[in-house]
Amino acid sequence: MDKYYGEFGGQYVSESLMNTLEDLDNAYEEAMKDEEFQKEFNYYMKEYVGRENPLYLAERLTEKYGPKIYLKREDLNHTGAHKINNVIGQILLAKRMGKKKVIAETGAGQHGVATATGAALFDMECTVFMGAEDIVRQELNVLRMEMLGAKVISVTSGSNTLKDATNEAIRTWAKEAEDTAYIIGSAVGPYPYPKMVKEFQSIISKEAKKQILEKENRLPDVVMACVGGGSNSIGMFAEFIDEDVELIGVEAAGFGIETGKHASAMALGKPGTLHGMRSYLLQDEDGNVQLAHSISAGLDYPGVGPEHAYLKDTKRVEYVSITDDEAMEALLELCRLEGIIPAIESSHALAYAFKKAKTMNKDEIMIVCLSGRGDKDCHTIAEYLKGRKEQ
Amino acid sequence: MNRIEEKLAKLKEKKEKAFITYMTAGLPDMEGTKEIIRIQEQAGTDIIELGIPFSDPAADGPIIQQASFESIQKGTNLTKVFNMLEDLRKDCEIPIVFMMYYNTVFHYGLERFVEKCIQIGVDGLIIPDLPYEAQGDLAKFLDKKGAPILIQLVAPVSKKRIPMILKNARGFVYCVSSMGVTGQDATFHKDVVEYLHTVKEISNIPVMMGFGIRTAKDVDGVRDTIDGAIVGSHFIKLMKESDYNLEEIKNYCSNFKKELNQY
Repeated sequence: MDKYYGEFGGQYVSESLMNTLEDLDNAYEEAMKDEEFQKEFNYYMKEYVGRENPLYLAERLTEKYGPKIYLKREDLNHTGAHKINNVIGQILLAKRMGKKKVIAETGAGQHGVATATGAALFDMECTVFMGAEDIVRQELNVLRMEMLGAKVISVTSGSNTLKDATNEAIRTWAKEAEDTAYIIGSAVGPYPYPKMVKEFQSIISKEAKKQILEKENRLPDVVMACVGGGSNSIGMFAEFIDEDVELIGVEAAGFGIETGKHASAMALGKPGTLHGMRSYLLQDEDGNVQLAHSISAGLDYPGVGPEHAYLKDTKRVEYVSITDDEAMEALLELCRLEGIIPAIESSHALAYAFKKAKTMNKDEIMIVCLSGRGDKDCHTIAEYLKGRKEQ
Repeated sequence: MNRIEEKLAKLKEKKEKAFITYMTAGLPDMEGTKEIIRIQEQAGTDIIELGIPFSDPAADGPIIQQASFESIQKGTNLTKVFNMLEDLRKDCEIPIVFMMYYNTVFHYGLERFVEKCIQIGVDGLIIPDLPYEAQGDLAKFLDKKGAPILIQLVAPVSKKRIPMILKNARGFVYCVSSMGVTGQDATFHKDVVEYLHTVKEISNIPVMMGFGIRTAKDVDGVRDTIDGAIVGSHFIKLMKESDYNLEEIKNYCSNFKKELNQY
């Protein structure tokens, strides 16, 4: 089925957005065929975002765990995470379509900051929807967005978090689509968003593949990345899906899957529809969407991108989960062994990488997507360590 | 014959315009919902849209969002609404349309849901996040005898999609009069009059206008074009502010129905 990944994906939006989505898809497909657009995208990736970023052989981790552990350093991008890749792509497209304003949803604030950044660069009016609760939790990113000229709207409906901010962004878009582009930050939402986000984020694996072939003259054995909505992971997997490479997506198990306080849509979710797509979704016995929990705000999402749901069902990618505690342990280890402070999101992938490495031998190669840096998380990390000391 | 089609045929005969309301099931409680439906039947409301609350009502504005949230807090779910209706149907024949989000149906099970609607007497469905192209899975079960009608929605921006959407539409066509979500001002989309004309020309079934209507006066400019008006957010607000006073609800509905049909 067109617009679907197996039974997942599709367009579950109100009638008033159907033509908008079609226009967007047409504009996107045209842009993809236009060399000028590609050139422009690549120009900003290099000159503004700072790509290509390194595929770094983590020496001390490799020494400790056995297989060669390479880190794809998305944390070194401008604004500190992979989010900017997609934002630049979508804003260039919005400009091409003649839009004057952009809106975005944000949970942890990383996508909001990236969108505010892109909007400043391309002189567009920017409004970011953020749950009232997240605004309190991520004060620093709210300040950053405002400094960059964006208007941050506090969303007070439902659970006051990312899923509600997304609903509000969809509502606003339905009203203002004529002159407004909606910049979705993850590989979620109605078609063509999952496709677009994958395309713009696939620069991660295009580079990584080239880099590993240069360094090792062969493909890696294992590639892994963390999965919230799934944008860095789909970008990290894209170029390896058709290769003989083991792919692993790492979700957040929060306090532990068994406690019910987690964000593992793949582990326990059932197929459902939210935010314009059908995918695995955490929901209660009435089909209402359940709140996710993770110490990492970026993974704190009750759904997952539809292509991931498909990759799980077809068994092409293995999806596992890592608890808050395991992720924090891995975070601290990367700080101490490699002098890199990773985002808590990315630390979930690291934690599983360390587990996986124990089952691999010295000649094998693994790439872990280090999707973002941890500066934004210092407050959360400090609170966590304080809590642990008190226990 | 389906209750909606039956009712609309009667109205056509009498040359009357339809008055349709939206209310969230479970408010002020299940018993209260039942009483409000009954009082509306007496007052002359023609069709009732009964909102099944969902955690993420992305097509609704703040008033219905809030009502939905409150109702969930009170424990409302689809099963309880079915039970309430089963009781109501013993002596109440007003056409009832479920307004709900697709996940609620999908989670319940498409076939099981349709069977239950047939058994209880649910006459129609409005699923705002299930656009025409995504309706196939559910539509498979809607051919059964007594199955509810899936009401089609069109918006001012639908334009070239309108003939496709209306081709096999039954019951009535729900015209969203403004852009976006429920409960906005009745400032009509700039091309709204023209758009309603277009829909009316194409449609073989009655054309109802919804979104942003408060009083019968709000539809003055388009009264000749449409076959009825739908009041949602304003009705919810009015009920809440009157603390669900049945007398006030009755007066509002009977006045609206009367004014809508006065020339």
